[in-house]
Amino acid sequence: MGNIIKTLDVTDSLTGLKDVCDLENGRIAGKIFYDQEIYEQELEKVFARCWLFVAHESQIPKTGDYITTSMGEDEVIVIRQKSGGIKVFLNACPHRGNKVCFAESGSTRGFICNYHGWSFNVEGNLVGQHESGVYEDSNFDKSKWGLKEVAQVDSYKGLVFATFDANAPSLKEYLGPIAWYMDALFDNQEGGTEFVGGCIRSTYECNWKIAAENFVGDILHAGWTHDSAARAMLGGSVAKVSDFEESYSVNWNGHGYEFALDTVGNVAVLGESALNKYLHTIKPSVAERLGDFRSNMIGSVSSCTIFPNFSFLPGQNTVRIWQPRGPNKMELFTWVVVNKSAPEEVKEKWRKGAMMTFSPTGVFEMDDGENWEYCTKTAKGRVTAQQDLFVGLGMDTLLTDTPLPANVYEGQLNEANSRAFYQYWYDMLNSRSWNEVPNRNVGKQEAE
Amino acid sequence: MTALYDELRPVSVEQHYRVSHFLNYEYRLLDDERFDDWLGLMHEEVHYWMPGIENRRRENLLEHGFYAADHMAFFDDGLRDLGRRVARFKQPSAWAENPATRNVHQLTNVEVYYGENDGEYVVHSTFQSVRSRGLDEEYVIYGRRQDLIVQDGESFKIKKRLILIPNATLTCKNINTFL
Repeated sequence: MGNIIKTLDVTDSLTGLKDVCDLENGRIAGKIFYDQEIYEQELEKVFARCWLFVAHESQIPKTGDYITTSMGEDEVIVIRQKSGGIKVFLNACPHRGNKVCFAESGSTRGFICNYHGWSFNVEGNLVGQHESGVYEDSNFDKSKWGLKEVAQVDSYKGLVFATFDANAPSLKEYLGPIAWYMDALFDNQEGGTEFVGGCIRSTYECNWKIAAENFVGDILHAGWTHDSAARAMLGGSVAKVSDFEESYSVNWNGHGYEFALDTVGNVAVLGESALNKYLHTIKPSVAERLGDFRSNMIGSVSSCTIFPNFSFLPGQNTVRIWQPRGPNKMELFTWVVVNKSAPEEVKEKWRKGAMMTFSPTGVFEMDDGENWEYCTKTAKGRVTAQQDLFVGLGMDTLLTDTPLPANVYEGQLNEANSRAFYQYWYDMLNSRSWNEVPNRNVGKQEAE
Repeated sequence: MTALYDELRPVSVEQHYRVSHFLNYEYRLLDDERFDDWLGLMHEEVHYWMPGIENRRRENLLEHGFYAADHMAFFDDGLRDLGRRVARFKQPSAWAENPATRNVHQLTNVEVYYGENDGEYVVHSTFQSVRSRGLDEEYVIYGRRQDLIVQDGESFKIKKRLILIPNATLTCKNINTFL
C-alpha cells in the first residue's frame, strides 16, 4: 500500500520544560498555555502520535457516510467502508494539497478535488483525473496516489479513535482500565449509544489543555464557578461535593475520570425530572450488566478526559473535542450522546438539556469560557508566565488497597488527575519514541 | 421558500411602523439589561429557536437545508427555558457578567406581513449583535430572523422566533445575550 501516511522524523525535545511542569512538587506555569515553541512540540509529539477521537460510529452508519474533523490541526475525512470498517484520510489532495471535502458530513461515492479533478473512491483510491491521458503519457502510477490514510483506526463502544503513528500502542492498551469506567456512560444499555444529529462548533481564545484538564479532574470549580447556573436551573446551589461519603479520582496514561456514586447528580442540573426518572428506571439493568458500583455512575457528579483532548460529562451527556488552533486558541466541537434504546422523548430532553447547560449558550458553560480564556491570556506576560501555579491538592491520596482498576485516588476534590494529565503531556513531549514514555501506572489493569 | 412578491400580503405603512417600533423597543430592553421586561414580551407558548448551522453539500441537505428540528441548536427554548436563562443573568454569582457585557443590538431589513390568523404578523429581518466585554473583547453576530408576533392589546407578544446565522462555527466562546 503506497497510500499510508509517512511517519514524521522526531525533532529534539525542548529543554527546560521541568521549570514549567514539575508535578512531583505540584506546580506548573502559565508558559505551557501560551508558548509557540511548546505548541509546535505538542502538534508533533502529542497530536501526531496519540489516539485521537474522530467520530461516533452512529454518525456514519452506511457505506460512503462521512464526517470531516481534525486530528490536531490536520484535517481528516472519516468514512464508512463497504466492508463495514472505517477509514480515516488526510483531507488533502496528493496532487497540490487542496482540500478534497469541504462539507462537515454527508454521504458520497467518493471525493473529487476542485483543482485538477483528481477523483477518489470511498476506499481512498485514485480512480481518475481530468485529462487523464497526459498522466498516462508520463507513466503515472495511480495506485500510489490515493488519499493518504491514517496509520491506525479502532473503536471502543462506538467511539472511533485514530492515530497518525503506526508505532503507537493499541487503542485497548492506550485506554487501559479507564475503558472500564467509560462503560458507565457508553455501554450501560444493550445497543449502546448514538450521537444526536449535528455538531455545535465554537471558538475560544484559550489553550486546549485548560479545558481538557477541567474535565479530567476539576469538579472543584463547579461549586463556585457554576453557582449562578445552578441557582437558575435548580433554584439552589450545586451539590456540595465535599459532602459525598465516597468519591474517586482515577487515571491512567494521562486520562482521568473523577466521580461520585450519587447516580443522578449530573443529570439533575438539566432540570428535567423525566431524565432522572429514566436513569433510575434503567439502573437495575445497568447493575446487572456492569455491576452495582458502575450503576451508581450513570449520571453521577463526574467528568472524564481521554488524553489529550476528548472529554465528556455523564448525566449531562455532552461530548467534546478541544481542538488546538494555536497556543492560545481552540475550537470546541460539542455533541450530545444518548442511549440508542432510550425513548424518543428522553433523547429529545437530553438534546435540549445539554444545550441549556453545557454548550456555547449553556448557562453553566458561560462562566467556564471566561475563566479558561483568562487563565490563558494572563500568560501573555513574560513574567507572569514563569510564575508557579499550584496543582498540589491530594498529594498523598493514592489508594493502594482497592478492588478498583487504574490509579485510584481518594476523593474527587483532588488534583491527582490534573497532575497525571500534565505528567503524561510532559512525558510525551520528552519522549522520542513510545518506548521512552515512562510507565507511571501503579494500579490494577482490571477490576477485581 | 420565499413567495413571489405579488403573493405577499404586506401590512400598511402604519402597522409596519408599529411592529418595527415594537421590535426596536424589544432590542433596547436587552441593551439595557431589562431582562424581566424583555421576558414579558414573550407569548406563553413562545418557541425561541436558533438551530446549529451545518456546512453540507447541496445533495446532502437536511430537513431545512442547513438545519433540522431534531439536530443540535444554540437555542430551542420555551418560556420556562428563557426564564432560566434570565434567572442566571440576575444572579450576583454570575461572575462572568460582572463587569457587565455591553450590548448593541440592531435590527434592519424589516418586512412585515399579515399572518395566517387575525392579529398575527410574520416579520422577516436581519440583525447585528455587538457585544463588548472587559477592555478589548468584541464579538459580532450577524444573522437573519423570522418572527411570528401576535397583537396583544395595544402591544404585541413574540410567539415564534427563528434565528439563523450564516456561520457553521460560532466565532466566539458563547452567546450571553438574546438575538
